Amino acid sequence: MNKYPTLIDALFSAPPERPFVTVCNDDDDCETVSFGDFTRLAKLQAADFDNHGLRAGDRIILVMPQGILLMASFAGAMLLGAAPAILAYPNFKVDPSKYTSGLAGVSQNLQARLVVVDEDFPSEFSQHLTMRKDATLVRTARPSAGSSDVPLLNYCHSRDGLAFIQHSAGTTGLQKGVALSHAAVLTQLDHLATALRISDQDRIYSWLPLYHDMGLIACFMLPLVHHLPIVMQSPLEWVVRPGRMLQLISDYRCTLAWLPNFAFQFVARRMTRPEDRGHYDLAALRALINCSEPVRAQSMDEFLAAYESYGARPEALKSSYAMAENVFAVTQSEISTAARRIWVDAKELLEKQVATPALKNADGSFCFVSSGQCLPGNKVRIVSGDGQDLPDHSIGEIIIQSDSLFDGYYNQPDLSAAVIKDGWYWTGDLGFQVDGELYVIGRKKDLIIVAGKNIYPQDIEDIVCRHPAIHDGRAVAFGLYNEDRGTEDIIVAAELEQWQEINRAVEIELGLRNLIAAELDVTPRAIFLKPPTWIVKSTAGKPARSTTREK
Amino acid sequence: MEDPERNKQAQQMIDYVVREVIRRPGVEITEHSPLVSSGLIDSLALVNILLQLEDVTQMRIPAVKVQPKDMDTVALMLATAQRVGKPRK
Repeated sequence: MNKYPTLIDALFSAPPERPFVTVCNDDDDCETVSFGDFTRLAKLQAADFDNHGLRAGDRIILVMPQGILLMASFAGAMLLGAAPAILAYPNFKVDPSKYTSGLAGVSQNLQARLVVVDEDFPSEFSQHLTMRKDATLVRTARPSAGSSDVPLLNYCHSRDGLAFIQHSAGTTGLQKGVALSHAAVLTQLDHLATALRISDQDRIYSWLPLYHDMGLIACFMLPLVHHLPIVMQSPLEWVVRPGRMLQLISDYRCTLAWLPNFAFQFVARRMTRPEDRGHYDLAALRALINCSEPVRAQSMDEFLAAYESYGARPEALKSSYAMAENVFAVTQSEISTAARRIWVDAKELLEKQVATPALKNADGSFCFVSSGQCLPGNKVRIVSGDGQDLPDHSIGEIIIQSDSLFDGYYNQPDLSAAVIKDGWYWTGDLGFQVDGELYVIGRKKDLIIVAGKNIYPQDIEDIVCRHPAIHDGRAVAFGLYNEDRGTEDIIVAAELEQWQEINRAVEIELGLRNLIAAELDVTPRAIFLKPPTWIVKSTAGKPARSTTREK
Repeated sequence: MEDPERNKQAQQMIDYVVREVIRRPGVEITEHSPLVSSGLIDSLALVNILLQLEDVTQMRIPAVKVQPKDMDTVALMLATAQRVGKPRK
């Protein structure tokens, strides 16, 4: 049983003077609120929403910049027993038409009573919100420090009641809403805190968007329930100034952070401006957790090579397998050591779909990083296409069951029925297990089958990205059906680090072909070398194979 | 009124966008040419353009205060830098 009946009880139990959220979006513009300040702000937002007619059981959409007001609005909505959902805030690098179609689809599905945007939300976007007839659009602003007393309201929240709706990341079509109860979230956080050995000495760093489970659960709900301070910057500031992340971790002595795999490489390679190189001290960081896309040894090694001299510790590099459908984490690597690795025979993997152990760094082997063992209350099975359990080392679909698992996508019963069978959630991810450790290979739908041989696009992308002329892990591989051959061809698109290198295209392409053939014994039909930023990324920052393929 | 420094910055941004972002022979732009809304450049290229804008103007521009419409032409970019930028330390 959880220590608190609801997330709100956890918030109300926090020591009021303890620092909670620090937001840094500029060198000289960091703001910290304590748990007491935050709770007061949440109550003021609740009173404002109540005035606008928000009631228990309603949905409320929040489209606001990452920061304290958004987080307090989220908590304020939960105080009233309404279910908040955070949607991405527009920024200068979004494609406006893609953004508005996402906004229209998700708001249509949620049928919210209130839609809350900030004062600067561009009106050209708000007209794309799909509003039900009695819905209200509210522009909210931060109440001034000296604003009136918090009005007394009848707060309404129960353990099994709906706490909020989070969305699974998507690149095309509608993002899927996952409705979660207070009990499910608290249960997940209990397990996560146990696995991570959370103590009151911990402090979290995050640039992760709050509309994604890694940002919302690990970097907002976890510190809210365990009364930990969190230091944040916006995803956009991080992309523009990655060095600031390391500076904040150093200055605030942060102990925990989560990053998607690509970020490890991005931070290691993108420190090109003098202002991005600081006096970092990363020694306090005890867990830097690689999560939300397949974990790659190369990415973690690059990060360590760049920052070990700044105090980053090899044993601090962890991994986790997580998804919105399970609230968050299913597995977590051991807290006392670095994430485990295994080398497997590439030929056996590709031809027999079995991960047969090979010697470390052996020729013709692949290295996989474990995502760790199941959290308490979580179970993983690896199954074949017809649902038969597979033994250790065999590759199949990962299916999960847990005490925090969702029971369906919000208002989308058909989608739910397709993925939940007999209480198990079919993740669509491929992987294998060895001695209780889960190794995630990638998405099942991305698998390329060439003449009966299974090729995992991540393996090709990994090889391509090792080439010095290729940019930051920005490569995608996918299959294209070839009618003449009756099987799939492999197509690769990769961005050049420097566009001038296009003069060496023939040489680079030959180099890539040699590398791929040597390791995988297959030949891509075509390799497209593209300028920087050509490849499409998903809302979670992962290269989007299907959208890039269409392009 | 003519501002030679501002015009120099506009030319530097135009040169950068043509040379490093558009990269197609024969394409010319002015400081009022729509870039993203016309499909001439991909919005993802705007991160590098923002960094260049900081270098050209010697300002620090908080990325969170910039919207797509603020970056659609070189003239808008320079106005955005003036509006939200802070002098570099």
